[in-house]
Amino acid sequence: MDFKKVLVIIPAYNEEGSVGKVVEEVKKFLPGVDILVVNDGSKDLTSEEAKASGAVVLDLPFNLGIGGAMQTGYKYAFIKGYDIAIQVDGDGQHDPKEISKLLNTLERNNADIVIGSRFLGVSDFKSSMMRRFGIFIFSKVISIILGQKITDPTSGFRAINKKVIHIFASNYPQDYPEPESLVLLHKFKCNVLEVPINMRQRNAGESSITKIKSIYYMVKVLLAIFVDCFKERSL
Amino acid sequence: MLIKVQILIGVMSIILLLFTFELIRKGRLREEYSILWIFTGLIIFIISLWPEFFLSRFIPKITGLFYLSAVVMIAFLFLLLIVLHFSIVISRLSHQNKELAQRYAILELELNSIKRLCNTSQKMSA
Repeated sequence: MDFKKVLVIIPAYNEEGSVGKVVEEVKKFLPGVDILVVNDGSKDLTSEEAKASGAVVLDLPFNLGIGGAMQTGYKYAFIKGYDIAIQVDGDGQHDPKEISKLLNTLERNNADIVIGSRFLGVSDFKSSMMRRFGIFIFSKVISIILGQKITDPTSGFRAINKKVIHIFASNYPQDYPEPESLVLLHKFKCNVLEVPINMRQRNAGESSITKIKSIYYMVKVLLAIFVDCFKERSL
Repeated sequence: MLIKVQILIGVMSIILLLFTFELIRKGRLREEYSILWIFTGLIIFIISLWPEFFLSRFIPKITGLFYLSAVVMIAFLFLLLIVLHFSIVISRLSHQNKELAQRYAILELELNSIKRLCNTSQKMSA
């Protein structure tokens, strides 16, 4: 594992209060890896905070949304020839302590993507009814399409290998990309695995998905998943 | 009644055509999009020249639609085509826009690291 080039990608939009802490924690638990913060057109000091904490920072000229921001990170990883990329959210919800779990599973089980799931095994994850319901629906739909049980398709805490970096660098969904990207990977015959993780409460900032928006997103993403099943894709 | 509608449609199509030409001349509308508009204007203009033939005989004969409903139908179809065309153009543009922003961010990062490298090597040699 030591000779593989690993990049931790942290998408951040107006997260000046937490992005520095996340970068420092990742450094603490994984001393060798490179850390890239993708600043998605933040209006606060996210970029400065991230630079001060020692991360490499990609500044997007305007807000592209989580999908566009993550894809920028994957493009960077692809250009720079990284073997593994790990997504860790900039709001501090993902515990960097758990990254090694993702990495080990990716290595040992020959998976193409490993997702940190909040619903596998023991977890004290709490959230609103609405969100739980949304995740439940996505979980059912994605599981049917993939022919494999996926408990947490909306999780953004994930590690991917070189093959998937290549795919994501040229194909990545826009607004609410996690569930849709799994359907995409299924089309490219990738191995998807889940490991149980614990998720923390948010350090700072506000979740990008509010109540009314979440209904809109659910319909939109379900539609996108449906369309994806018929779309032609190429690298 | 018919002559009034004829004049109205004729004048409107001429205004549409003149406006389109003016936009192209000033470079505010690309030729690619203007073709649809010119086409629309011309068709309406031609209809206004022989409304009796088109609205009461030709169009009802091929479509079964009569007179005013035929005018509305044609206008609606053209608008639908134009709007669909715009959706396609906007989709393409937003995709290209995203692609550009991403490349710009990566290039800026690379440029800055090269700049820093140049600065340190200059200081070393000085």
